[in-house]
Amino acid sequence: MSELQSRLLVAHEKDDRAGLIGLYTEAADRANDLIERSFFLTHAFVFALEAGDLRAPLLRERLREMGRI
Amino acid sequence: MTTDVSGVMRPVATANGLPNDHYVDERVFLEERDAVLYKNWSGIAVTADVPENGDAKPIEFLGMPLLLIRDKDGDVRVFQNTCRHRGMILVSEPKKIEGAIRCPYHSWCYSTKGELVATPHVGGPGMNTHKDMPRSELGLYEVPSYIWLGVVYINASGTAAPFEEVHAELLERWKEFDLPLYHGGEDSKFELEVNTNWKLAVENYCESYHLPWVHPGLNSYSRLEDHYNIEEYGRYSGQGTLVYRQLTGQDGETFPDFANLSDKWDTGGEYITVYPNVLLGVQRDHAFAIILEPKAVDKTLEHVHLFYAEPKVDEALRAKNATQWKTVFIEDIFVVEGMQKGRYGRGFDGGRFSPAMDGPTHCFHDWVANQITSHRQQMAAE
Repeated sequence: MSELQSRLLVAHEKDDRAGLIGLYTEAADRANDLIERSFFLTHAFVFALEAGDLRAPLLRERLREMGRI
Repeated sequence: MTTDVSGVMRPVATANGLPNDHYVDERVFLEERDAVLYKNWSGIAVTADVPENGDAKPIEFLGMPLLLIRDKDGDVRVFQNTCRHRGMILVSEPKKIEGAIRCPYHSWCYSTKGELVATPHVGGPGMNTHKDMPRSELGLYEVPSYIWLGVVYINASGTAAPFEEVHAELLERWKEFDLPLYHGGEDSKFELEVNTNWKLAVENYCESYHLPWVHPGLNSYSRLEDHYNIEEYGRYSGQGTLVYRQLTGQDGETFPDFANLSDKWDTGGEYITVYPNVLLGVQRDHAFAIILEPKAVDKTLEHVHLFYAEPKVDEALRAKNATQWKTVFIEDIFVVEGMQKGRYGRGFDGGRFSPAMDGPTHCFHDWVANQITSHRQQMAAE
């Protein structure tokens, strides 16, 4: 996770919104429990929503299936 | 601070102008903000400021943070630029909203129509809903707005009658110009920062009396007797000309005319203030708007915009036109700044109006005085 964490920090530093969507999704996929997964998915979803990214509906659906939205 | 405005509301022949405090006193400036500028339909921008869907521009109007936005369907709207969560400013510089407006603080998100569409972690980590946080009730505050002749007007208090009702006579007067106006673009807008109270810019604009003295260049073709007063008490005022002459380029080219205008506009032009703060001018081939942004009791920013009948008009002629108008408006600066300075003279009683020439200016004073009186009566009753 630390390597992913580093990439996330770099993406934040560069304000790479598109990159953040993918990286937070990746973090969610690697998460060990519901809360951690939904936490990262939420971030991915919000950045996708802001960007009008096509991944937003899918991320929303994943959160909905988890009962988190 | 309560000023005596009763003398303003006398007939023009015996009236005095607004007392000095309406030009130099901070407290009266704030009273006018509430009574005149917030309670009526004030101009804040032009639609050309947000030309494409998703364009958003933060605007501060007399301290009120606003967000001008063209939503995803192309409608121009004005919201308070304040997140419904903790009151954070949402957008701090002009930008394109690709999907949603995300608050930079806790990332609550709003659609371009103002709906609250995401509340991340509002119910705890990774939990994005909470039973006490109904998103449908927490959208952005939308400020009533209206678009006319390319200008965006707002009613900040939310208490005014509809724009079409308040300005029905003016809309009827200029209905021939109620068609698409095309902003000339970057070379057709400029700003003038003027050390004057905003009302003095209105007052000077409304009357033609000063033209031969302040704009001698106009004398050759636009004499004082070629002008007429426009004074509709309680509604609007300004001036008109009978000898508007089209600008021509090196090879005699002119701007295209607005479609289907009546003969009156062959050589006619009218220059009217949409009370309180928008100065409009219409002629057969172009129009302009000056939006007065009161920055302080003695400081005003004039936002000038030029509009044409077609999206692309001759670039050189457009530049020439902008330069010509800028010259005229700059010629007015020493006057409005001089009148501002004059109002620190304690003996000045608001001045007198020429019954023949100053009717449009008195019409504006009378309207302001009525707005203030009505506001004071309302405050006293509450």
